[in-house]
Amino acid sequence: MLVAPEVLPTYLVNTLIRAFLYAAVAITVDILWGFTGILTFGQSAFFGFGAYAAALVFTHAGFGPGLALIAFGVAIVGAMLLALLVGWFAFHPGASPLYGSVITLVLPIVVSQLLYSGGSFTGSSSGLSGFESFDLSLEAWFRIAGVFLIATTAGVWLFLRSDGGRILEAIRDNEQRCEYLGIDVSRVKILLMMACGAIASCAGFLFACVQMVVAPEYAGFAFGTELLMWVALGGRGTLIGPLIGTLLLDTSTSYLSGSLPFLWKLLSGLAFVVVIVALPQGLLPALASAIRRAWRRGAPASVAPTAEVELHSADPQPLAGLASAGRLALSVKDVHKRFGSLQVLRGIGFAVRPNELLSLIGPNGAGKTTLMRCIADGAERSSGTVRLNDHDIRHSSPAACVALGAGRKFQNANVFDSLTVAQSMRVARTRLKRPSLWRRERALALPTAALEVMRATGLDRQLHVASRDLSHGMKQALELAMVLALEPSVLLLDEPTAGLTKAERTLIGRILLDLTQSHTLCVLLVEHDLDFVHEISTRIIVLHQGQIVLDGSVEEVVNSDLVREIYAGAATPGAHG
Amino acid sequence: MSAALEVSGLTAGYGGAMVLHGLSLSVQPGEIVALLGKNGVGKSTLLKTVMGLLAARDGTVSLFGESVSRLPAYQVARRPLAYAPQEKALFQDLSVEQNLRLGLRDAGSFERRFARIADVFPVLATRLKQRAGTLSGGEQKMLLVSRALLASPKLILVDEISEGLQPSVIGRLATVLREEREQSGTAMLIVEQNVGFALTMADRYLLLKRGEIVGQGKVDSPRSADQLAAQLGV
Amino acid sequence: MTLVLDMLTTAAILYGVAAGLLIVFGVMKIINFAHGAFLTVGGYAALLVTHLGWNPWWSLPVAFAVGGACGAIVERLVMKPLYKRPLDAILATWGLAIVIGQCITLVFDRGVQFVQSPLTGAIDFLGISYSSYRLFVIPLSLAVVGLLGWMMNGSRLGLVTRAVIMNEDLARALGINTGMVRLATFSLGAGLAGLAGALITPLSSVDPNMGVPWLVNAFMIVMVSGVSLVSLGVACLVLGSAQVLVSTWANPILGGLTIVVLAAVILRVRPEGFARA
Repeated sequence: MLVAPEVLPTYLVNTLIRAFLYAAVAITVDILWGFTGILTFGQSAFFGFGAYAAALVFTHAGFGPGLALIAFGVAIVGAMLLALLVGWFAFHPGASPLYGSVITLVLPIVVSQLLYSGGSFTGSSSGLSGFESFDLSLEAWFRIAGVFLIATTAGVWLFLRSDGGRILEAIRDNEQRCEYLGIDVSRVKILLMMACGAIASCAGFLFACVQMVVAPEYAGFAFGTELLMWVALGGRGTLIGPLIGTLLLDTSTSYLSGSLPFLWKLLSGLAFVVVIVALPQGLLPALASAIRRAWRRGAPASVAPTAEVELHSADPQPLAGLASAGRLALSVKDVHKRFGSLQVLRGIGFAVRPNELLSLIGPNGAGKTTLMRCIADGAERSSGTVRLNDHDIRHSSPAACVALGAGRKFQNANVFDSLTVAQSMRVARTRLKRPSLWRRERALALPTAALEVMRATGLDRQLHVASRDLSHGMKQALELAMVLALEPSVLLLDEPTAGLTKAERTLIGRILLDLTQSHTLCVLLVEHDLDFVHEISTRIIVLHQGQIVLDGSVEEVVNSDLVREIYAGAATPGAHG
Repeated sequence: MSAALEVSGLTAGYGGAMVLHGLSLSVQPGEIVALLGKNGVGKSTLLKTVMGLLAARDGTVSLFGESVSRLPAYQVARRPLAYAPQEKALFQDLSVEQNLRLGLRDAGSFERRFARIADVFPVLATRLKQRAGTLSGGEQKMLLVSRALLASPKLILVDEISEGLQPSVIGRLATVLREEREQSGTAMLIVEQNVGFALTMADRYLLLKRGEIVGQGKVDSPRSADQLAAQLGV
Repeated sequence: MTLVLDMLTTAAILYGVAAGLLIVFGVMKIINFAHGAFLTVGGYAALLVTHLGWNPWWSLPVAFAVGGACGAIVERLVMKPLYKRPLDAILATWGLAIVIGQCITLVFDRGVQFVQSPLTGAIDFLGISYSSYRLFVIPLSLAVVGLLGWMMNGSRLGLVTRAVIMNEDLARALGINTGMVRLATFSLGAGLAGLAGALITPLSSVDPNMGVPWLVNAFMIVMVSGVSLVSLGVACLVLGSAQVLVSTWANPILGGLTIVVLAAVILRVRPEGFARA
C-alpha cells in the first residue's frame, strides 16, 4: 500500500483508486443483498449523491476547508435522509420483497434523471468538472482510497461477525420468525440502508475530490446493476468475494474495454447470467472450493465462525416493564374474520387466565390457525377486540404484540436455517437484550423456561449445530425455546406435536404442563391429537365452521355427543335428516 | 387382473418430517375403499403422493398395473383417474362450464358427457355460466364430483368431500358415487374423517393412524356400518 | 386536441409494450427484464425488413416471429432453473438483456438507424395535423391486445393458461402440462415484445439501447395493474396521460419520471394497484 503507488504505472494507480472506492460501495451492496437478502439496485444513487454534493458545493460556492466540511456533511446527512425516504417506501410493513427491489430500482433512475434535468446548476448530461479540490498527489489519494477501503471492510467485517450481525442473517433466512420474535424488521432494514447509504456517499465524495469530474451516469441504474454483477460474480454474502471481484473486474474493464469493447461486455454479461443460474454462490467461491478440494483442506471458515458460548439463567423481565401482567392473560371478544365474502370466524369470545392450558380443537377449516393469527397480529381480524394482559392490541404488528406478551410458535418448525442453536437463541433474546454490534459475547442469559426446554431436549449439548442440521423434533424444540426466550405470558402453539415421535410428544407434553404450573404463563394450543389434548389440557374449546361450539373442562368436552358428531360423523347416516 | 391402485411401502412427507411411513394398500377394480383417520394422519398426503404432486421418499405407486412412481403430476393425471382434492379444488374465478371443461382432455365430447351429469345434478345445468366462487358450498362439491365423473374415469380419489356440508347434500353425493360404481364399475378411494358417510358407500375400510394402516375390515351390511361408525368414533 | 391525441397514442403504445410483460408476469410470477431486449430485437427485425427492401408492413409479423423464437430459446436455457427464485430471475434476465444488446451491437453496429414507416404523412382533421402512423398505432395496438384477450378468453390454450395463472397445482392435477404452458407463454410474451418494438421504431429510430426506458415504464405499469388486460389498459391510460401532461406542462425529463414515481406511490398506498378488489 505504501510502496505500490510509487512503483506502479500511473494509469493503473488511477484505475485502482477508482476501483477501491467502487469496492467500498460493492461491500455495501453485499451487506444489503448477500447478508440481509435485500436485492438493491440503488447504491449507485448514494454514490452519485455524495459525488455531486462535493461537486456542487465546490463548483458553486468555491473550495476551502470550511466548505469541504460542509460538503462532506451534506453528503453524509443528505444520503442518510434519502435512505430514510427510500426505506420508508421500500420496507413498509407488508411490502413484498419485489416491491422493495422495485423502489431501489426507481431510486437511481429518479436521481440520475433529476441530475440530467438540472440545467447549468447540475451540468446536465455533461456533469460538472474543473472544480477545485484538495491539492494532493495521486499517490496520496491512492493511500487515502486504500485506507478508506480497508477501514470500511474492517468495520463491516467486525459488525458482521458480531452478535448483532446475526440478526441480518436471521432476517434473510426467515423474516416472519423475526417479526414474531419482536424484532422490528422494517426498522432494522431502514437503519441498515442509512448506514450503507452513508458509506456509499462517502465513497462518492472521495471520488469527486480525486477525479474532479462528475456525471449523472455515476448515480444511474446501469452502474447500480454493475455493482450487483460484481457482487454476484465475486460471491454474494462473503464480503471478501465482492471486494476482490470488484477490484479485478473494474480494473480489467478499464484495460479491456478499450480494445474489445462489446466482446468484454458480452462476456461479463454472459458470466453474470451463468453465475445467477448455475453458480449462485459466485465465481470466486466456486473457484475457491474447487482449489480447496484439490488441496484437500478442511471446511471453509464462514465470516462468523462460532465462538464458545455459556448459558446462564437470566433475571426475569416479564413484559419488559411495558405492561404489568393482567388479571386475564388473554381476552378475546366478538372477533370476526372475513376473507372477501367468506366468513372464517364468527363472534369468537373467550378469556384465559395465567396458568391455564387451553386446547383449541376442531375439524379442518374450522378456523383454528386463523384465530391464532388474530391473537398474535393486530391487523388480521376484521372486527372485535383482543386484549393481551388487559392491553387492547388494536392493529399492532406482530412485533408489537410480542411486546404485549404474545409468543407464537408456528406449525412447521420455523427456525433460522443458517444460524446455530446458540446464535438463534441470542437472536430470539434480542428484544430484551440488545446484542452487541461489534463483539461476540460469551455469556448467553436465558429465562429458566427456555433453559429447561433446552436441557430436557438436549439442545444445550448442540449449541454449535446449524439449525438446518437438526432433526425435525429438535427444530420444534428449538423454536419453542426461542419463543420462551421472549418471556411471553401467552404462549400460542400451533400443532406442536406434528411430525414428532411418541417419545418426543411425551416430552413436549410434560414440558408444557410444567410451564403452566411453575411459570406465570398460559398456553393456547391448537391440536389434532386428541389423546395428547386429553392428557395435558385443563380446558378445551371446540371450534366448528368458525364458531365456538363448546368451551369447557376436559371431561365435559371429551364426553360430549356434539364433539363425537363433529369428528366422526353421524353414527347413523341420515339420522339428522 | 391388476389392481386399480397399488401402493407399496410408501414413505413421504414435507421438509424433514415424514408423514407416511412404509404405507401399503390396494384398491381393486370396481371396489370402493374408505380410508379413515383423524386430521394430520396422512390421508391427504397419501393422495397427493399418488397423484405425483408430492415426491415420495421411498416406495412405489401403480395404476392399473403400470408404475407411476417417477412420473410428473400431469402425466399421472392423464391416466383414466380423477382426483377431487380437499382444498383449492376449483378455479373460483372461472365459470362452472370452464371448470368442467378443464376436467376433460378432449373438448369435443363435452356436450355428450355433460348431458349425463345434468341428469344427476340438474342445478349445475342452470348455472353453467356462473363463476364457481359464487356457488354455495354444497353446489361447489357437486361441481367437484361432476368434474371427476365427467371423463368416466376408472378410478376416483376423493379427499374429504363431506367436510362442511349439510347431511342432505352428503347423502346425495354418496348416492351419486354409489350409482356411478353400479353403472360403470368405477373404483374409488374415499378419504374421510366422517366415518358415517364413508361407510355408507364403502365395501372395505382402512384405518390410518400416524402414517400407517392400523386396522381394516369389510363393511357387510348397512347395520354393521352403523356399529362400526359408533366403534370408530371419538 | 393534440394533447389528447398524444395521451391516447402514448397509452396505446404503452399498452402494446406492456401486454407481453403482463402475460409473463401473470403466468410465471416473475418479471422478465429481457423484455426490453426482445423489444430491441423486434426493432432490428424491422430494420432488416427495410434493408431487404420488403413492404414495411412485413416488419410486424417478422418481428413477432423472431421475438418469439428468441423467447423460446431463453425460456428453455435460462428461465427453467429460476422459477423458484423470482428475484434472481430479475437479475438473470437483466444479464441476458446485456448479452442480447451486445450481440445486436456486434452484428448491426451501435449507431442510430432508421426504418421505413408503413404509413407516411399526416392526417388533417379538427384543425390540426397529426402523423398518420402515430394515429394508426392506436387501432393497431388495440387490435393486438384485443387478439390477445380473445385468445386468453376464447381458446382452449387461453383457458389452460388462465388456469395455470390461478392455481398451478390444480392445473397439474388435471393433466395440464404446465411446463409447456410456461414455454408457450414466455415465447408469446417475447413475440409481443418484438411486435411492439417493430411498432414503435417508425416513430423514432433504432439503436441497441432503445428497449431500456420502455422496460422500466412497462414494468412499473405491470406492477400497478394486477393481472387483467382491462386493468392494464386503465393503468396505461392513467399513467400514460400523466406522463404526457407532465412532459408538456413541466419538463420532458420529469415527464419521463412520472410513470415510475406515480406507480411507486400508488403501490405504497394501495398494494393491489388498479386491480379490482
